[in-house]
Amino acid sequence: MSRRFACTFLTLLVLVATVIVAWPGHTYATQDRDAIMAGSSAEHWTGTDDLGRDRTVRVATALLLGLVCAAAASAISTSIAAGVGTVAAFSPGPVASVLMLLSDLFLTLPWLFLLMIVRSSLPLNASPMHSAAITFLILAALGWPACARAVYNGALELRGSDWMIQGRANGLRTGQLVRQYLLPHLRPLLVPQFLLCVPAFLVAEANLGTLGLGVAEPLPSWGGMLLELDSSAMLARSSWVFLPIVLLVSVLLLLECLAYEV
Amino acid sequence: MRIAMIVLRKFGRIVVLLSLAAMGTILLMRLAPGYFADAREMDVKYAQATRSELGAEEKAQGSVASTTLHMISGFLHGNLGESRQYEIPVSDLIRPRLRVTALILARGIAYGWLLAFCAALPLSTLHKGGTLFGAPFTVLLAVPSGAMATFFLLSGRGGPVLVLTLVLAARDFKFVRQLLRSAWKAPHLLQARAGGARPDQLILRHVMPNILPNLMALATLSLVTALSAIVPIEVIFDVPGVGQLAWAAAMNRDLPVLLAVTLLMAAAVTLSGFTSNPARSFGAP
Amino acid sequence: MRSIRLLLIGAALVASIAGEPSRSQEVARIPGELVWAIRYDPKTFDPAKVDEQASETIRFFTGGVLLRFDPRSQQPEPELAESWSISPDGRTVSFRIRNGLHFSDGTDLTSRDVAWSLRRVLSPATAAPVAEEFINPQQVTVEALDPQHVIVHLPQRVIGIGKVFDEIAIEPADRPSEGKVTSGAFTVFEYKQGQYVRMKANPNYWKHDATGVRLPYATGIRLDILSNREQEIARFQNGSYDLIESLPPEDFSLLAQKDPGAVRDLGPSLNTEQLWFNQSSHAALPDFEKKWFENRSFRVAISDAIHRSDLAKIAYDGHATPAYDFISPANTMWHSTHLQIPRQDLASAIRMLASAGFVTKGGRLYDATGHAVNFSILTNSGNRARQKMATLIQQDMAALGIDVTVVTLDFPELIERLMHKMDYEACLLGLSNVDPDPNAMANLWRSSSPNHQWNPSEATPSTTWEAQIDKDMDTQAGSPNPLERKRAIDDVQQIVSDQQPFIYLVYPNLLIAVSPRLAGAEPTVFQPGIVWNVTSMRLQGHQP
Repeated sequence: MSRRFACTFLTLLVLVATVIVAWPGHTYATQDRDAIMAGSSAEHWTGTDDLGRDRTVRVATALLLGLVCAAAASAISTSIAAGVGTVAAFSPGPVASVLMLLSDLFLTLPWLFLLMIVRSSLPLNASPMHSAAITFLILAALGWPACARAVYNGALELRGSDWMIQGRANGLRTGQLVRQYLLPHLRPLLVPQFLLCVPAFLVAEANLGTLGLGVAEPLPSWGGMLLELDSSAMLARSSWVFLPIVLLVSVLLLLECLAYEV
Repeated sequence: MRIAMIVLRKFGRIVVLLSLAAMGTILLMRLAPGYFADAREMDVKYAQATRSELGAEEKAQGSVASTTLHMISGFLHGNLGESRQYEIPVSDLIRPRLRVTALILARGIAYGWLLAFCAALPLSTLHKGGTLFGAPFTVLLAVPSGAMATFFLLSGRGGPVLVLTLVLAARDFKFVRQLLRSAWKAPHLLQARAGGARPDQLILRHVMPNILPNLMALATLSLVTALSAIVPIEVIFDVPGVGQLAWAAAMNRDLPVLLAVTLLMAAAVTLSGFTSNPARSFGAP
Repeated sequence: MRSIRLLLIGAALVASIAGEPSRSQEVARIPGELVWAIRYDPKTFDPAKVDEQASETIRFFTGGVLLRFDPRSQQPEPELAESWSISPDGRTVSFRIRNGLHFSDGTDLTSRDVAWSLRRVLSPATAAPVAEEFINPQQVTVEALDPQHVIVHLPQRVIGIGKVFDEIAIEPADRPSEGKVTSGAFTVFEYKQGQYVRMKANPNYWKHDATGVRLPYATGIRLDILSNREQEIARFQNGSYDLIESLPPEDFSLLAQKDPGAVRDLGPSLNTEQLWFNQSSHAALPDFEKKWFENRSFRVAISDAIHRSDLAKIAYDGHATPAYDFISPANTMWHSTHLQIPRQDLASAIRMLASAGFVTKGGRLYDATGHAVNFSILTNSGNRARQKMATLIQQDMAALGIDVTVVTLDFPELIERLMHKMDYEACLLGLSNVDPDPNAMANLWRSSSPNHQWNPSEATPSTTWEAQIDKDMDTQAGSPNPLERKRAIDDVQQIVSDQQPFIYLVYPNLLIAVSPRLAGAEPTVFQPGIVWNVTSMRLQGHQP
C-alpha cells in the first residue's frame, strides 16, 4: 500500500469519526437505559454498551481522543529517547555514563506511586479531559528509557562510520550531522518504537483508571474498551466489543505504511 | 590491572544504581497516598485493631528517614526485612517464586526472539506487501497482554509462556524486520549476491554479523517488556511468581517486598545492559 | 524454500507451546475433599489474632467454639457447651461443657482448656480484636468451677454476648497451635503461601449426625488462594471447585447460561451500597460546599433524583433490590416495615432544591450565592457494579443540572482520603453487614466514633438528629427488653430515612454457585453463607 493510500485512509477514518461525534443526536454520555448491551439497530448502528450508551459514538470519540493523545505521547517519548541516546553518544564518557545510569534507573523505579502522587495533587473535580491530558503527558515522560540505550548504542556505532567522518571533514557541525544524517539512520529503531508505544500507552492509560487517573467517565477510553476483552462475560454478550481492537489494528497498519517507505 | 579497573567500575555502577533505585522506591512509596491506611478501617469489627496497629507503625516509621533506616536494618538481618502484608521474611516469600518467574521469562524471551526471527527473515526480503504479511504481529501488538492471557486461559490451551512469547515476538518482530531490511540494502551484500553467494551464506556471514550488535542492544528493551508483561500474565494464570507478588505488594503498600523486587529488576536491567555490548563493555558505560 | 522452512519452524514452535495445557498449576484433589477459592491469604492461623475475613474463615472451620450462631434461628446454639445461661442482670454467663470431649490429637477437653482460651483472648498481651466486644475485657474474669462448668463474670451487660463466644476458639491449655490441634471440625495441615490452605477432618470431632455418623462428612477442605475470577469460574465449570461463595452479577448471567442448575440468586443480602456527602467540620472543602452537604433538603433531593430501579437493573443485571434503609429486608428481625420513605421522583427533587434556595439557569444548577453546584463521587476501583452505579448517578444528576465527576481510587488511597484527611466531597461505597443485630453496627451510628462516616469523631453531636441517634443506640445497647430495642432501632431507621446522611442505593443480592455434585448445601444470606453447615456437606459418590 502506498503512502498516499495510507494517508488518505487515515484521514478518511478521522473525518468519519469527527462527523459521527459532531452529528446531533446521541452523545457519548447519553444512556438509553432500556437498551443495555443491545445489538445493532436503526437507532444504534453498532449496538449499545453495558450502560446503554451508543457504541458508534463512543468508539468514534475514543478513536479521536486516543489517536491524538497516544500518538502525541508516543512521538514525545520517542523524541526524548532519540535525544537522550544521541546526546549520550556524542558526550564525553562520564556524561554518557550518567545518562545511561539515569535511563536504567528510570526503567526500574515503580512509577505507579508517582502517578498516585500526581493524582492526589490534582483536584478531585479535575475534568475528564484535563485528567486524560495529564495522564498521557506523564506516560510520554516515563516511556523514553526503554529505547534510549538502543539509540545510544546505535548512535555510538554510527558515530565512527565513514560518512560521519566525511561530513565532519567537510565542515558540518555536530548538530547538523546528527539532525540531517544520523537520525535518519536511526529510523529502524525509532519508528518501531513509536509504533509500539501507541497501543502500549492506550492500555497503560486504561490501567491507570484504577488509580483515578486516565480518561474519566463519561468520556470513552480506547484502552478501557480494549481491556473489556479480558472479561469472558463481556465477550459472550456482543461481538461488537471487538470493534475497538479491529480499528486499532487498522490504525496501526496505516501508521506503519505511512512511516515506512514502501 | 586494566581488567580489574573495568570490573571495579562495572561493580561500582551496579552499586550506585541499586542504591538509587532503593532510595527512589522508598521515597515514591512513602510519599504516595495511602501508606498508613487499610481497607479494614471501614470494617466496624476490625477497625479499632487495625487503627492501633497502623498507628504504632506510623509512630515508629513516621518519616521517610526512619522508614529507610528500618529497611536497611531489615536487609542487614539477611532476610531482606519482613513483609507488611504477610508478616514473614521477604526472602522466604521471594525465593520459591523467583525460580518460577525466571523459567517463564527465560523461555518466553528465547521463544519470542526465535519466532520473531523466523518471521522477520523471509518477510524482510519482500519488496511489497511487507505491512500486510506482518499484520498478524500488528494484531498481537494491539491486543493487551491481559486479554490475550484470558483468551488462552478460557480456551484451556497455552499458558503464560505462550502469551509472553507472543507479546515479545510482536515487539521484537518490528525491530528485527527493520534491521534486516536495512542490512539487506548494504552495498557489500549486493556485491556478495552478484558474486553468487547462497542465501544461507549471505545470512550467516554478512547479515547476521551486521545486525547482531543492534540486536544485543535491544535485549534490554526485550527484558523490560517481558518484566512488565509478566505481571498481568501471572495474575491471570494464577502463577505463584514474582510478578504476582509485586502487583499485590504495590496495591497493599508492602514496601519491603516491593523494594526487594525493584532491586532484583534493577540488577537484571543492568546486567542486560552489559551484555548489550560485550565487545564494548570493556570501554564504554 | 528456506523462507518457508523458517516460517514453518516458527509456526511449529508456537503450536508446541500452545499445546501445553494452561492448568498446570492445579493441585490434585484428595478424595472426599471439598475445594473452592478464597480471595487472598489468611494473615494468621492463630484464632485469637484473627483480624480479617480469610483468617476468620479458617477459624470458622477449625475452631471449636462454645456456642455457634445458627443463621436459620438467628440464635447462638450450643456447640462445645451443652447448655448455657445468662443471669438476669446480664453479668454472669454460665456454661456446661459436654462430657467426653477431645481435641484432634486425642487429649481431653475440659473447663481448664476453656478457661485458658477465654483468658488468653481477654488478655491485653494477646491484643485479640474480639476482646473489644466485651467492652472492658480487663475486668472480665473466668472461673472453672469443675471440669464441666465455666463461669464468665462481666463488669456490665453486653448485648449479644452469646455471639461473641462464636468467635473464641477453644485451644489446648498452654499449647496454642495455630490451628493444627483444634476442637473444631477441621485442622490445618498444609499451607502454601499464595497457593492454598489445606484442612483435614478432625477425627475426634464431637458432633454426630442423626444416624450416629461422625461429622464432618468431608475428609477435608482445600481453599485455593485465587484473586482472578475468570480462573475461578473456569475451574468451577470443569469441576475443580465445588462452589463459588459470591459471584459478580455479570459472571452470574454468564454462568447461568452455561449451567443454570448450578447458580442461585439468594435474594437481597444484608449488605448495602450507599452514597454519602462529607459533612465533617474538618473537611478541606469551601464553605459554600459544606453548606450544600449539611442541608437536609439538598441530600433528600439528591436521593429523590436517583433512579434506584435503574441501578439495580443495569449495574447489577437485576440482581439487587432498591434500598432506602440501612437494614436489609433480609434481616426480618430488625427491618422496619412501617418506614416513611421519601417520594422518589425528579419533580419532587427539583421542588426540594428550589425550596432550599437553589436555582436552575441555562441547564445548570446554582446555589443561593451563585456558585455552580458540582461535586465528585469517590469510589474504589475493582468493583465494576459500583463504578457503573457512579456513572448512572452521574447521568441522574445531570438531569438536575449538577455536574458530577467520578473518581475511582485504589483502597488505601481512598481510605486515607475518607478517614484520615477528610478530603472528599461524596463517596459511594458498600457496607458489609455480617451480624444482623444492629448493635454490631453501633460504631457506625455513634457520632463520637471514627467510623461515623459522614462526620467522624465528633466531640459532641453537631445536630439534634445525630444526638437522637446516639440516644437510641445507647438505649438498644443497654436494654434487655427486645421490644424496647426494636423501638429504638426503628426510630434510628426513620431518622436516617428523613435526614439521608447515607443515601442508600441498593441491597446487592447474594449470588452463588453450587456444584450439582455437592450434597447437603443449604445456602443462606447470613454469614458465613453457603458454608455455614460445611460439616454436613459432601460430594456425591463419596461415602464418609
